[in-house]
Amino acid sequence: MTRQEAETILQLTFKLPKFYDEQWLTIEKLLKGEKVLLIEKTGFGKSLCFQFPATVFKGTTVIFSPLIALMRDQVKKLTALGISAKCINSEQTPDANTQIMNEAKQGKIKILYIAPERQENSEWIEATQQMNLSMVVVDEAHCISVWGHDFRPAFKRIINLVKLLPKGLPVLATTATATKRVELDVAQQIGNSIMTIRGNLMRDNFKLFVVKVSTEDEKLIWLGKNLNSFPGSGILYTGTRIATDIYSNWFEHLKISSAAYNAGLDADSRIAIENGLMSNKWKCVISTNALGMGIDKPDIRFIIHTQIPQSPIHYYQEIGRAGRDGLPSYIILFYNPEDRKLPEAFIESGRPSIKKYEKVISVVKSELHGERELMKRTNLKQNQIRAIKADLIEQRIIREVIIGKSKKYEFVSNSQPLNTKTFEELRNAKLADLENMIAYVDTDKSRMKFLCDYLGDNSNHTFVNCDNTGEKKITVSVTSEWKEKLQHFREEYFPELEVESKGSNLVNGVAASYYGVSNVGDAIYRSKHEYGGDFPDFLLKLVIKAFRKKFGQEKFDMLVYVPPTSSGDLVKNFAVKVSQVLNFPVSHNLTKSRVTKEQKVFENGYLKTENVSGAFTLINPNDIKGKSILLIDDIFDSGATLKEAGRSLTNFGAKKISPVVIARTIGGDIL
Amino acid sequence: METFYNMRKEEAAYWIALAHLPGWSHLKINNLIVKFYHENKISIDEFFELNDNDLQHRYQLDEKQVLDLKQAKTELAGNAFLAESFFSQGFEIIPITSPEYSKTLKINLKTANAPAVLYVKGNKKILEEESVAIVGSREASETALKFTDNITKLVCNQSKVVVSGFAKGVDRQALDSAVKFKGKSVIVLPQGIMTYSSVFKNYYRQIIDGDALVLSTFFPQAPWKAELAMARNPVIYGLADEIYVAESAEKGGTWSGVVDGIRKGRKIFVRKPEPNEKNANNILIQKGAVPVDFNGFELPSNYDITFADQYSVVKEPADKDPLETKVRAAFSGRSLSAKELLTKLNLTWTAQKLDGYLKKLDFIEVVKEKETILYRLKGTTDMTQTKLFV
Repeated sequence: MTRQEAETILQLTFKLPKFYDEQWLTIEKLLKGEKVLLIEKTGFGKSLCFQFPATVFKGTTVIFSPLIALMRDQVKKLTALGISAKCINSEQTPDANTQIMNEAKQGKIKILYIAPERQENSEWIEATQQMNLSMVVVDEAHCISVWGHDFRPAFKRIINLVKLLPKGLPVLATTATATKRVELDVAQQIGNSIMTIRGNLMRDNFKLFVVKVSTEDEKLIWLGKNLNSFPGSGILYTGTRIATDIYSNWFEHLKISSAAYNAGLDADSRIAIENGLMSNKWKCVISTNALGMGIDKPDIRFIIHTQIPQSPIHYYQEIGRAGRDGLPSYIILFYNPEDRKLPEAFIESGRPSIKKYEKVISVVKSELHGERELMKRTNLKQNQIRAIKADLIEQRIIREVIIGKSKKYEFVSNSQPLNTKTFEELRNAKLADLENMIAYVDTDKSRMKFLCDYLGDNSNHTFVNCDNTGEKKITVSVTSEWKEKLQHFREEYFPELEVESKGSNLVNGVAASYYGVSNVGDAIYRSKHEYGGDFPDFLLKLVIKAFRKKFGQEKFDMLVYVPPTSSGDLVKNFAVKVSQVLNFPVSHNLTKSRVTKEQKVFENGYLKTENVSGAFTLINPNDIKGKSILLIDDIFDSGATLKEAGRSLTNFGAKKISPVVIARTIGGDIL
Repeated sequence: METFYNMRKEEAAYWIALAHLPGWSHLKINNLIVKFYHENKISIDEFFELNDNDLQHRYQLDEKQVLDLKQAKTELAGNAFLAESFFSQGFEIIPITSPEYSKTLKINLKTANAPAVLYVKGNKKILEEESVAIVGSREASETALKFTDNITKLVCNQSKVVVSGFAKGVDRQALDSAVKFKGKSVIVLPQGIMTYSSVFKNYYRQIIDGDALVLSTFFPQAPWKAELAMARNPVIYGLADEIYVAESAEKGGTWSGVVDGIRKGRKIFVRKPEPNEKNANNILIQKGAVPVDFNGFELPSNYDITFADQYSVVKEPADKDPLETKVRAAFSGRSLSAKELLTKLNLTWTAQKLDGYLKKLDFIEVVKEKETILYRLKGTTDMTQTKLFV
């Protein structure tokens, strides 16, 4: 097919006039059955490089993409053009996925998006046997490399797959963010004489700013004051889920329209927020870095980071989503010297201790276990066990196998011992990346050039698009008026406890504070562990306030507190005081029917749940039948204790149980 | 120079396609392999790139066969998806061209019946050991099970490998006994290797310790079918150097397998039943199987006049020195150093002692490779794969 012929089809099918040269170069190779690694900036039109040949090929093109949001978005667009495209993902029902696989088997689908994890699914593997596959595409191919900013173990398997594909089957790997090192790593891993095409990565419609501050308050105040004066809508990236919560409550307090997004939300909520972002429903979406990769919105007008990312490549990737339409877009990074601690901690604790690795290896050696059983046997957190598993699989010490329908981990006979040298190298590389990110903050030269150089795109272009090259620098001034506004907000803001579940009359509750964010944590710690006496009265005031805000309109019959494991009568005394202020009776009847251990010795939710399972009983259960109960505890971590107490009270006939705690921890295991 | 080769993983998709061409017999597939691999010396992926003209003329395939291959070609990408999942779970493919392919199986089944690929998981080296199959009914008697246990003990003590199906009765007894006596076993599945996960759960320790190899010759995702269970039996018999029958009915898998084996001239040992037992063991003995007692000792061929008159059992001459037999068996065509031989023979000798011993054997010759002295069976060369079938 000549370029001219191809462009005729392009006009008919995609309603686009012509290809860019680099697009055609890529497409021409794919049409010949070659393998290409394409590195081009966001907005270049990488998708067309596989979508076009996919429509020309006879069979189905499979696209591995790590991003469900992107899959949905692209399927929508292709469908609108009349191209049969579908995606298979974990957020659709199994029936819907099966249906799509059947259509693919019948040759009814040209373009099929799937997540790399799908390769672990035996139904999918069976279905591929009956598909006529024309091309394989690996989107976000930097996820293949541990030297990239977003290594994903599932991509390793995609590499293996690509190597097994028959000769002459075209393969395209694409990314917008690859340093030279990542580029070489990806190309080498795919092998088979893959050809690399790299475009320039600069974005001269960006206006780049760095705002240096010395407190968190300055960030909150500057944004509160200025966010509404930005053009259009955009994204605010924070470092943690809790920060998304704090910022969205702060904006709500100021009547700035926003929505908070994180990977922990359910699929429906995420889809609703993605759609809202596309339709400019809010001034901004506040998110952890879970949002946005690949969202094809042309007019994101600003991207603001309240937390410094781990490396320039993370940063480039995240800001890459702005201004795809080529119009000016504001790119702002806040930096408080304290901020480096979060990525540092992340890097330092990114890998569990070697002892924990050895623990996992020895358990896997003894028997075939799934993840849940491994967590129970090793008392490790889920994220730790996942990190360890990924490393051990990578080093071929264990492997994941499917037994029946469940995943198990088996030991690889004659495998090499754990190699910790690579861990050291990776850690050092990441620390160096972080230093480079801070160098971006401190540079007095062009920020765009800094990023391009870092990505191995040595451009001679003269940039005049940042606060070092002509744009006015941003400084923060804190007025007493804004200080008061913030103070007022803080006194009104109480974290939610999400504990509702089917079959329990426990409803979502409230915490008076986050543990570790204010002086609340210290006060609890002194009372519990340093014989500091009863919880101080300011905690009582705070709890009453949180109670009034969340449950002020409701009527309660009785107050029940969670019986202690080892900290004596602290919670009991506290509950008595609360009941005196609120003026309804306290019951001392919830007790433990067996000895439990302190929840904090357990690292994961499974063991915490086991520890308290069936541990509560009630003296005089008739007292609570049909009653509305306020349930008090000091600290909320995984929620396992409250949920178990709630179940117990439900079983004894309580009508409604509303929990209030003094503080909720930040690092609780997500289970 | 390494003249034989292990399969490149990149060939997996092609081998899967070739091995399961619908309606193609083992013979037809093997003849094709002999042609492209041994005669024309091209790899399987190169073979799949040949055009219709070449297939029709150089390979003398008819239109239907060319069409089958064309269809198989469109399935290669799908096979790659399967192969990735397969390899990531620790399964392996051994094509018939690989030196890892069981020699015993090739010798016993020949071009006509040897499967083009073996799908395995576990210690592949087990396929190089001397092997014994103990077969029998799913509803075997206590006596038959005890016999199985006895034979397995013997087999394990001689460091031979137990070959067994994964069925109830005698099969499971042989496996359980092999575990008990810390022996090695080959477990031959009646279905696709990826569909039978309980075997990997039950024999987890044996597999990771290198004491077991799970093997299937069927499409990796093929579910259990009666036909596959039947087709599996020749593979069990084929993988074994010796076959013991614990108990057979007058029909079914054991029966047809043994009868077929006798017809092909294989020496098959059958447990001489007690007078009151109801099974077909005696009939098999009448048909030419060799009777053995409860402990596996061969009974004199004239133990029963009426039978002995009618059926004479031709015995192979027994080796004078069992170590010599072991030495012969240790060579799988490749030259070996004294040290390698020591491990293979499981001897506690010094290398010098073995050197001395080997030099006295008339069937062994010395080859020098660089600085090391290697031994091989007289008259063999290192190119074991010049001929596919012995």
